[in-house]
Amino acid sequence: MDFLETSCGCHYREEYWDGELSEILLTALEQIFQWPVLGIIVISAAYGLFMGAIPGLTATMAVALLVPLTFFLDDVAALAAIVTLEACAIFAGDIPTALVRIPGTPSSAAYVDDAYALTRAGRQEEVLGIALLFSVAGGLFGAAVLITSAPWLAKIAFQFTSYEYFWLTLLGLSCAAVVSRGSLLKGALALIIGLLLSTVGLSEVHSSPRFTFAQDELIAGINFIPAMIGLFGVSEVLRNVLWFQNNFRTVVQEGFNQTLTAGRSLLNRLLFQPLRSVFATASDLLWRRKLHVLRSSIVGSFVGMLPGAGADIGAWISFALSKRFSKNPEEYGQGSLEGIGDATSANNSALAGAWIPALVFGIPGDSITAIVIGILLMKNIIPGPQIFTNETQSVLVYGIYITFILANLVLLPLGFLAIRGGSYLVRIPQPILLPVILLFSIVGAFAINGSYFDVWVMLGMGILGFVLEMNQVPLGPVVLGIILGGKLEQTFIQSLTKSDELWDFFARPVAGFLGATCVLVWCSPLLISLWRRRWQTSP
Amino acid sequence: MEFARIKSLASPFFSWLPFVLALLTLVGCQAKETYPSRPILLICPWAVGGGTDRLSREVAVFLEQELAVPVNVVNATGGAGVTGHSRGASARPDGYTLTMMTVELNMLHWRELTEISWKDFTPVMLINRDPAALFTRADENRWEDLNAIADDVRKNPGTLAASGTATGGIWHLALAGWLQAAGLKPDSIKWIPTNGAGPALQELVSGGVDLVCCSLPEARTLLAAGKVQPLGVMAESRVSGYPDVPTFQEQGINWAVGGWRGLGLPQETSQEIVNRLAEALLKIVTGQTLLNGKGFPWFMENEGFNLTWEPSDKFRRSLERADQELGSLLTSPEFSQVNVGRFQPMDFPKLLFGALAITLLALLVRFFSRGKSIAASAPTRLSGEGLIHFLEIVLAVAAFALLAEKLGFVLTAASIIFLLLWRLGTRIWVAAVVTLFVVPAVYGLFGNLLRVPLPRGILGW
Repeated sequence: MDFLETSCGCHYREEYWDGELSEILLTALEQIFQWPVLGIIVISAAYGLFMGAIPGLTATMAVALLVPLTFFLDDVAALAAIVTLEACAIFAGDIPTALVRIPGTPSSAAYVDDAYALTRAGRQEEVLGIALLFSVAGGLFGAAVLITSAPWLAKIAFQFTSYEYFWLTLLGLSCAAVVSRGSLLKGALALIIGLLLSTVGLSEVHSSPRFTFAQDELIAGINFIPAMIGLFGVSEVLRNVLWFQNNFRTVVQEGFNQTLTAGRSLLNRLLFQPLRSVFATASDLLWRRKLHVLRSSIVGSFVGMLPGAGADIGAWISFALSKRFSKNPEEYGQGSLEGIGDATSANNSALAGAWIPALVFGIPGDSITAIVIGILLMKNIIPGPQIFTNETQSVLVYGIYITFILANLVLLPLGFLAIRGGSYLVRIPQPILLPVILLFSIVGAFAINGSYFDVWVMLGMGILGFVLEMNQVPLGPVVLGIILGGKLEQTFIQSLTKSDELWDFFARPVAGFLGATCVLVWCSPLLISLWRRRWQTSP
Repeated sequence: MEFARIKSLASPFFSWLPFVLALLTLVGCQAKETYPSRPILLICPWAVGGGTDRLSREVAVFLEQELAVPVNVVNATGGAGVTGHSRGASARPDGYTLTMMTVELNMLHWRELTEISWKDFTPVMLINRDPAALFTRADENRWEDLNAIADDVRKNPGTLAASGTATGGIWHLALAGWLQAAGLKPDSIKWIPTNGAGPALQELVSGGVDLVCCSLPEARTLLAAGKVQPLGVMAESRVSGYPDVPTFQEQGINWAVGGWRGLGLPQETSQEIVNRLAEALLKIVTGQTLLNGKGFPWFMENEGFNLTWEPSDKFRRSLERADQELGSLLTSPEFSQVNVGRFQPMDFPKLLFGALAITLLALLVRFFSRGKSIAASAPTRLSGEGLIHFLEIVLAVAAFALLAEKLGFVLTAASIIFLLLWRLGTRIWVAAVVTLFVVPAVYGLFGNLLRVPLPRGILGW
């Protein structure tokens, strides 16, 4: 309780409160710390973990499925359920990412190669322990940002026009290409393939069909969820059956046997030993990288705050930054614990960030908060500056703050259980596991739209992913290209339509800054190699 | 060790078995009873989180209460509404696939994006109408009324920029129609395409555009915050809930247009089913169906939707009239000019193809300058067995896509997974146990718990 009170913003902007603060905070705490509400929080945490862990079911879909239930809950409970659900779902996306190389949600795609490489070395518990601890750290930081700076930070995001969005989108894409494993050229190739795939279907700018070959299904374009399942999941199944790798299982098995036989007493074996194997490396790393976590969380919160840029882009940018400033950039893409930690704290802190514009201006920061705004309106709460001054509604805002902290605390034990449960997955022999993964992939691809065409897309992408992997072309940028291609084109054409001057792309201060950063990102590999050469020749 | 592992996997199955069997018999029995006896699918042609999605989900909850079967919403998105509408129109006419039709149904076929039109549906009930409105930034006071803007545009055509949706979308059409009604060229205000009203309003407030054309509820939060100012609404009379917003007609311009949403069934659906649904919907829209003590009109008002309902025959007449109106607008030479912006649809892909060519060229140059080093790490030998397995996986996915609709999910999935398990070298009885556990589990999980509409096939599961 002490903890909650100190972190719930006692230093909050005084002009809003005039001494009623403690009263409002107390009412909010009273409303949350009731058994039914706490029960709802735990249930939605479990539901979120489950939904996030199944590829093809995104956090957004989980929240959408919850909407009818919110009719029956009161305001605080409904919002608490959503906050908990999304925080847990985004972490849970890391579980299949690490264990079977299928990102559970798009936010985990940035570090899928790293996580899976470590699993193959039998270190999946370490990876997931890091994912869990860093997620919680990022989530708590994001909550702190939401609490302390919601009103004034949103104003910055509100200044964004198509120029800023263009650069921001390009920055996200560039980061994906530059940080990816292998050469810059192959990263660029993957990105362009992804962007080209995104142009299939009805263009958002002109509403005219492109590359549809007169097929009705293709007008809708390539949905990125089946594409993602195909690129990462099916291609992995294909690769595995082509070269049956029995060594995979034995490596993982050995790791397990070690952890299983190590303990003596029952308590030791069932609790302390697993706790150590999940959290030992993680807590150590968390302490050593506390400043990096801070940086990643700041990046995540800020990206989350921008409408249309959510947890997934936050993770990519943070991963890129992490690699750029790392002492061992060569590890990235091969199994870098640092990269996973930084990206995973960014995607969790982005969640709270997305609530800032949603609450302050009624403009959603991501697709989840878009649904939240709908629920708020349904409950006769109109998001906007007045929500912070009206007494009954500010109780609700405080309720959101408190649940963000609670959700991340609940995530810690439940996430641990999920990791232990998930780890049993890799003990299943591969001839059994592969068909089951394939079935889940098919159902996941089908589930999102109930469309057979999506199953074909998944298959096509699986084969494409297989071919690209064979040529050491990274798959991450392909996925991001598909997701962001439409937005990039749109902001590009919007900006061009507004004005003929190319200079206008840099004329606004924030746009100029983002544009320059973008150019720098593309030049940085070149600059770094030049700088290294010079440094080496003249020490 | 191996055996023990499999056994521990199988044991949960046996505790499930009675439940699963009971479930299967239940589903089988119900198939022949009166409508509705199994879950209904409500197709929403727009994405999760948007206005149509919110409305669909609310209607679904009330229908569920009224019909006593689950009503599941599926977002069949993309193609500016083509996907959802065409899937809804071509669904089996058994009353188990409803579509939330939107105004785009009357526009897509005129723009030759699809052959589907309102004639492919049996209209059941119109639920909502949202007239278009014009907004500007609140703090600037640039224009007093519509005529002031029109004068501005007349003096400097092409300098103002407006937004609201994609080029050629309903709000773009509304703006162009107003300009035409005011005696101006439809393209004398630049249209900046955006992905819906939300981003357009953001552009407006941040100074990116001068005007936004969208519905009043879409701008509701910004209106309440005093960020945007409405200049007029394109309706015949003022809209309830927004009594201060004058109509275009009051300002001397005869122009009314807007979006609407309503439920439809595939065209050949039997009258009996249409009547049953219409009856249920009538109870809902008149507020007789209560949920938690609250009726549908209460939800509509709180969400800021304008509840306007029309029964089947009236809805049909409005559809026919609106289709003619929009058709004559969309096919007129002035509008076909508007739809072609300065940048062609293929400009962006061309740019990408250019970049692709450069990248491939650079990769080639590097390949030849560095020699084999790139290809060196290619994996070792291919075995014939591996290749066969590879093909089997591809065939398995294809088999699902081709057969599931006819055979139903359970049969298709079970045969696929059983054959794959067996082919990959699992012993037959292990494969059978895994299949019998996994398939019902997936079916229960997705089909029942998460309400994903899995293929039903001839047997109903």
